[in-house]
Amino acid sequence: MATVHDEIDNWLAADLYGELSAEEQRQLHTHLVDCAACRKTHQETKTMNKLLEETLAQQKPDPAFEQRMLTGFRNRIPEKSGLIKSLADLMRSRSAQVTAVVAVLLGLVQLGRTFTTKTATTPRTRDRYANEQLFEPPAQFAAMSEPNRAGALNKADELAAARPQAVPLQAPPPSSSTEMKAKTESSAELERTMVTGSNIPVAEEAAPKPGETPAPEVANRKLIRNATVELEIVSFDDAVQKITAFANEDHGYVATTNSQKQANGKLRGQVIVKILPENLDRFLQKIRGLGELKNQTLGTEDVTKAYFDTDARLKNARVMEQRLIEMLKTKTGKVSDLLQVEKELGRVREDIEKMQGELKYWDSQLQFATVTISLAEKEMEEPAAFLIKERSQLALYAPDVEKIYNDIKALASSRSRGMQITNAQLNRDYSGRVSATMTILIAPEESDAVITRVKSFGRVENFQTQTERIAQGGSGMSQNAKIKRDKVELNITISREEQEQAFQQTSLRIRTSSVDEKAKDLRAVAEKQGGRVRSSSFSRDPDGRELANVWLRVPMKHYPALMQSLDSSGKVENVTVQRQDRTGTQIDEANAPADISIQVYSQGNIVSNQSGPLATLRRTLAQSAGAIMWSLRMIGVAIAFLAPWIITIVAIVWIAKRIRRARR
Amino acid sequence: MDASEREQYRAAIHGDREAFEMIIRTHSRTLFAIAYGILQNREEAEDVVQDSLVKAWKMRWRVRDPEKFPAWLSMIARHRAHDVFRKRRSLPSTHETIETIEANTPEASAMDQQLHSALATLPALHRAALSLRYFEEMDYRSIENTLGLTNGALRGILGRAVASLRKQLRPALASTD
Repeated sequence: MATVHDEIDNWLAADLYGELSAEEQRQLHTHLVDCAACRKTHQETKTMNKLLEETLAQQKPDPAFEQRMLTGFRNRIPEKSGLIKSLADLMRSRSAQVTAVVAVLLGLVQLGRTFTTKTATTPRTRDRYANEQLFEPPAQFAAMSEPNRAGALNKADELAAARPQAVPLQAPPPSSSTEMKAKTESSAELERTMVTGSNIPVAEEAAPKPGETPAPEVANRKLIRNATVELEIVSFDDAVQKITAFANEDHGYVATTNSQKQANGKLRGQVIVKILPENLDRFLQKIRGLGELKNQTLGTEDVTKAYFDTDARLKNARVMEQRLIEMLKTKTGKVSDLLQVEKELGRVREDIEKMQGELKYWDSQLQFATVTISLAEKEMEEPAAFLIKERSQLALYAPDVEKIYNDIKALASSRSRGMQITNAQLNRDYSGRVSATMTILIAPEESDAVITRVKSFGRVENFQTQTERIAQGGSGMSQNAKIKRDKVELNITISREEQEQAFQQTSLRIRTSSVDEKAKDLRAVAEKQGGRVRSSSFSRDPDGRELANVWLRVPMKHYPALMQSLDSSGKVENVTVQRQDRTGTQIDEANAPADISIQVYSQGNIVSNQSGPLATLRRTLAQSAGAIMWSLRMIGVAIAFLAPWIITIVAIVWIAKRIRRARR
Repeated sequence: MDASEREQYRAAIHGDREAFEMIIRTHSRTLFAIAYGILQNREEAEDVVQDSLVKAWKMRWRVRDPEKFPAWLSMIARHRAHDVFRKRRSLPSTHETIETIEANTPEASAMDQQLHSALATLPALHRAALSLRYFEEMDYRSIENTLGLTNGALRGILGRAVASLRKQLRPALASTD
């Protein structure tokens, strides 16, 4: 345990501040009696304490200190108003915070539940709205039609009363007589409107459809009715007459008629009939008896909403017009304002006119139902005439294409009436091949003669004729339609004989000792027989074998003679003959070309140049020369690798030697 | 701490202005002693007390335990005073002028000056403890509570503070004897 002496400072301080217990005080005093140093310290401490007390007493805050603090505090934190303060204070306590959070959460849950139930019930609500929409206007109109039924004619007032936004029209206008007239006109028009409007339910009741009870809601609705009917009838004129009669019976009229005559003499057309709506169904029934019903549509357009909307807007616009006129009359305000009013008045009047026009149009549409009847006579599609069209294709081979081309042209000009060239083309390509195409129109009665004549110009390769029967003004068959022959179209293709495919192809091989000589012989033989050499080739292989190919073309009539002379000239092998019989086309067989392909060959050397001692020796020499060249190349590579090193080492050694010698 | 005092602190924490003003009345001197102990300047100390009170009012809901309210209050004052002290040190010129002004006042004797400079060398905590003792004549236990010290620590602190002052002032003390 620490002694008093060791902690004398603590003890003295505690003594000073009266923090020592009685026992401790006794201990301290005992020690002070014993220890001179501590006594001195005690003395000093006491002096210092006094000094401190004196000095610090000056620094003590003055008596007004608390008041100052309080005032400062009040200035800096002004007292809040009761509610905010209490709320703010409330939010500071934990329990209040917890309560608030719980309340907010509960609120959110409730909100979510409301929303979800709302979405769940939305369809039902929508249904309800739909029903309301369906049933609301009828209720309204039923209420409006009440005075109608009662026979009261002051509908304008009733209507105005039924619509809160519409200012009563009958308010006495303080304007000039023209305005009065306009008013009366408009009210008269309104009355007329209402009369036509009330016609509709009458029509509905007059012509109820079987099995359908007319709904009371339909009363006073603005319905535009139209029908379209498509009929097939025997006689157009008859039908139009009957339709006119029916329309007159039912207090209607024929508005438009139009008809078209087809090429086969049949009529097709359209009749538009205007008929009172209540008579529409009866009228349609009658019409059906006229002919075969192809198609019928019956349409009703409900313009009630648009009609009454426009009506109400018209009334509003009139009131507006009235106000503007009054404004103009009082004539107060600036000129620019008056101009503005004038402008506005013009706009309103324009609107009024537009709306009046609209209402008039609807009235006309409502007054009469429109029936559009499309009429077509029976067997509309029967053809009026037939046209027979002949088209021929002719392919010719000739030794001289140009000559024939010109011959045909000359023929055409000599028979200018019955024959006409529509297209002629002569093609010559870079290799000298010539071909020509021509298209000729020939009068039907001359066609056979002309075609025969053209055929005789060359060798016919192909001839085709095609006949087409074209129905005019309809389709199908007809007993009494006229038949006409059209001009014959002839397409001619002329090619050179060379391009003609051979009628017969023969290939054979001849073995002989002297190939070249034999080939020359063959040419001579061919020319003697009226044939031509088309191409020839000659080759010799390293073994000394020779080979010559010769293609000849001769007319068929000289073919047997040629073959015989070939047989006599050497050993003929491997003969194959291929013949193309063109059935169906008349062909000049004697002049048809026959191709002969002859291969003349000789036996080669017994020992090939590629084998034997000389060849072997040559190969060996070549191989050893190759080996030497290869090793030479390798040496070169080795030198290229080593040379730099050797040069470097030699240089180093040389320099070292020089240095050693220099030192010595 | 008796029940009425605790009730007062609780009310103040919950926003009772009157209770808080009562606390201002009773505690502002203690706060001043702490601030003065650290700063050794009356004007600054007063400002610190004022700021601390305002801050305490605004932040009062942070105190959960009413018993700790006085200790919390002194902590605010101590922190605030330390802030001011640090700021002053970063602006040495101002401090200089204050010192010279104080030195030039006629009543400031040489002894006072010496005492002040000796006090300035002590740690701030020691100064605060000393000023609480000399201004408010508080006993060790209250000082410990106010400064948030553990039981018995103050005895050593004050002992060391007194010893340090005594050693520095020994020549002056000798002359006064």
